[in-house]
Amino acid sequence: MSVTAIETENLSKVYGSRPIVRDLSFRVDAGEVYALVGPNGAGKTTVIRLVSGLAFPSSGTVKLLGINPFERPQIRRHLGAVVEAPAAFYPYLTGRANLNLHAKLAGGVGRGRINEVLEMMELGNASERKVGVYSLGMRQRLGVAAAMLTKPDVLILDEPASGMDPLSLHLVHRVLREAAEQGTAVLLSTHHLDEVAAYCSRVAILEEGLLIDEVNLLDRRDRYRARVSDLGKAQVALQTQAFISQVTSLAGELVFSLNDPEALGQVSRVLVEAGVMVLELAPDSFDLRAYYRERLSTQRARTPRGAKNPTFGEQA
Amino acid sequence: MIGLIQIEFGKLWRLHSLRFSLLLLTLFPIVWAYAPGVFDVYGFFVLSAYQVPALSLLSSMEFLLPLLVAIASAELLGMEIGFSTLPTVLLRPVTRSQWLVAKLFVAALYPFLLLAYLLLVSLLSGIPFGYGGFVGGTGVGAGGLLGEGLMMPSTAVLELLRAYAVAAYSLAPISLLAVLFTVIFMNAAGGALATLSTLIFMQLLLVFPVLEPYLLTTQLNSYVNPVASMGWIFALILLYGAAFAALSVVLFERKDF
Repeated sequence: MSVTAIETENLSKVYGSRPIVRDLSFRVDAGEVYALVGPNGAGKTTVIRLVSGLAFPSSGTVKLLGINPFERPQIRRHLGAVVEAPAAFYPYLTGRANLNLHAKLAGGVGRGRINEVLEMMELGNASERKVGVYSLGMRQRLGVAAAMLTKPDVLILDEPASGMDPLSLHLVHRVLREAAEQGTAVLLSTHHLDEVAAYCSRVAILEEGLLIDEVNLLDRRDRYRARVSDLGKAQVALQTQAFISQVTSLAGELVFSLNDPEALGQVSRVLVEAGVMVLELAPDSFDLRAYYRERLSTQRARTPRGAKNPTFGEQA
Repeated sequence: MIGLIQIEFGKLWRLHSLRFSLLLLTLFPIVWAYAPGVFDVYGFFVLSAYQVPALSLLSSMEFLLPLLVAIASAELLGMEIGFSTLPTVLLRPVTRSQWLVAKLFVAALYPFLLLAYLLLVSLLSGIPFGYGGFVGGTGVGAGGLLGEGLMMPSTAVLELLRAYAVAAYSLAPISLLAVLFTVIFMNAAGGALATLSTLIFMQLLLVFPVLEPYLLTTQLNSYVNPVASMGWIFALILLYGAAFAALSVVLFERKDF
């Protein structure tokens, strides 16, 4: 059973009379990478700050590892976060000195771990330079290094890709994916949909503080479609196979997901043995960018942006 | 908490305003002790090195020192806002109040450090006048600068130490007030200027004589008071400081970052 690392329930934040986040409920399990996407002003950063315990909810609850961080701030011992973009450090200190300071505040972090995260983020050579001369991408990498110092159970990152070159971006993706594989729950906000599609487990689409859709990307990954001679027979043949996680027919085609991406070759074999001819087999690629655009335009058609400005608690 | 205080002292040393203050306070006694117009303004000639610290205090307690103290204390918190490090630090497992109390502690101690430095530089500036006994007063004890006869070096040093300690103590609430205003405005310049405005406003309240003994600005001159009359003044300054610190913590606990 998966452990819930982050959970929000009917979370709302109002500044003055303006609702920024409205009735937001979501959960992030251990080992999952959960992305918040949405246009500027959708409330992503506010959600990150509410979940991190930096801003107080107007209503609703936040739980980190089942504990309210506002009641027990010590739970932040299990939290690593980058909530500023670019990541904020004391510019007059070196990268290493900044991490030393974070280690002191966090407690229980050895010198070895500081070296480890610096190497992990490929900042070993720059560690003795003052952060003031770091590039934007280096600061972001140092931010991730600081967040990883305590080997946190929960990682929260606001725009981790901001200002990064493709190589740094790849590095950060790898580090976050590895952290998730080791059981860390990762919550991030981003505008980079390709990055989300590449390695996030689930994505929440926000618009004007509302969660308008939540997409499970794992279900959409390793999914294939096939044109076959006998749809019914093919479906029955695949249903019983262990390497198939899901099989269905859609628009006259067979759509299936694999538990093991390596097992694709076995699909054709099983179908041929069942007397089904495979006419075409191709990945059923999910275009998150197109999906996102479509969801936003549908939402905006329903609730014109800024025109209605629904009051707190009102569902658009 | 000790670790947090150490970290805050490290930050204090990095403040531009602290370095500027030290530079100013290095030049200040030298310029003042040998200024040609000292007699015209204060009505006496400097006779001894032990009178230079009093001259420094007399001429700076009214405006310069409160200003320097307010700016540095506001910057101590304001730098976190300027560098955007506040949220990053608050995400660590330290409570907001622990973190701010460490800052408040350092801010309250800052006037003592600043005045210790001013005393040292003032005494060094007085080298040409000599450190022997002299006829006159230190300017911060009984008899003022004219004194009550022969002033021995040990008595002079004790008088100066007492006066500087009391002066620093009376500046401490100003430090805390600057932190309070920085918490309110979340801006170092706003915090420092609001503190100065408040002090100027308090000085204007002198038109209400009944209020005068209770004003924070009145206490800035308490370093010349005899020790016997200091009891309630100490309590009043402590009350001001405690109120500013407590209010800072309460407001900081409720801030969104």
